[in-house]
Amino acid sequence: MKRTFYASAAILLLSAGLMPVQLRAQTGPPKVRKASAIQVVMIQSDEIKLPAEFQISLYENLIQRLQKQGGFEHVYRDGDHNADAVADLIVLHGTVRGFKKGSEMARNVTTVAGKTSIDIHCQFTDKDGKSALEQDLNGKVRFFGGNLRATLDFAKKAAKLAHDNFVASPAS
Amino acid sequence: MGQHSMRTAVITLLGVLGIAASPGLAQQSQQPAGQNKVRQITGLTGVKANAKGTLTIESDNLLFANSKTKVSVPIHSVEDVVTDNDSQRVFRGTFGTLTMFAPYGGGRFLSLFRSKLDTLTIQYRDSDGALHGAIFTMAVGKADPLKKELVAQGARTTIPVQQDSGSPDTKPDAAKEKKP
Repeated sequence: MKRTFYASAAILLLSAGLMPVQLRAQTGPPKVRKASAIQVVMIQSDEIKLPAEFQISLYENLIQRLQKQGGFEHVYRDGDHNADAVADLIVLHGTVRGFKKGSEMARNVTTVAGKTSIDIHCQFTDKDGKSALEQDLNGKVRFFGGNLRATLDFAKKAAKLAHDNFVASPAS
Repeated sequence: MGQHSMRTAVITLLGVLGIAASPGLAQQSQQPAGQNKVRQITGLTGVKANAKGTLTIESDNLLFANSKTKVSVPIHSVEDVVTDNDSQRVFRGTFGTLTMFAPYGGGRFLSLFRSKLDTLTIQYRDSDGALHGAIFTMAVGKADPLKKELVAQGARTTIPVQQDSGSPDTKPDAAKEKKP
């Protein structure tokens, strides 16, 4: 009887000791692969009608932010042949899921109205198209600046996400 | 005394508005034919964002030039040309930011003054096949003729240019392309 009691107590203590480790493992950042280079594919907006200047601004700002943030040896553009030779390449695909064009004048005059926002689904894949990470990000401008500033806001967030998850040595 | 100060304030405001509006008009009237004064918002390699310059078509190249840089894009590499219209604050830049701190909502009032402009967006590929995009803003009515010229010289577009109706009274805004 005593032996059974000690055995159950030991099991209980052991499981209690292991539980926090398991919880930590579940809530921690997902394990993702590291990459030396990233390729940015042109932002797609098949379902949502996005003005051309927003589409180009999203793409160009994203490339600029990734280059500025550092961490990747190369940031390749859509269709760049040089990316074919890179083994550990990560490809960033963006699809517009929502867009609301606000008004700079309304923002300046009222402060509370006229917000511009863009919702984009980001998917990071390897060269073979296998998904490595997916996340929805948004870019917005609430107070100062033109509507295109929303694209810069998105670019900052996307570049940070890429940097945090795929750069081998985050200290840069 | 109160009426006098009010009158002075109104005259000062009108003076400021007049000074701010006049250089733009002067620039437009002095602009030589074939040259488009533009602002490059983003995209061109080696050119700072919001750089001013001229956009011309020279021997199958789209040429952006200012005092510091000269960038050319082969027209045959242009995959898409799209025009649109937009507006911007008359009082912008550092002065525009400072007006936001003006008392009695003066900054908000000045935000109501806006000027219309055209935007020209291009997508092109470089020699490595890499896709680039560039956005330019220019005076109203300048983007469509430039797009027509680009398309005539071999640039591609996803949105065909609308044929002119031939009416001289057609406003530039009404001639804007329509997305399908």
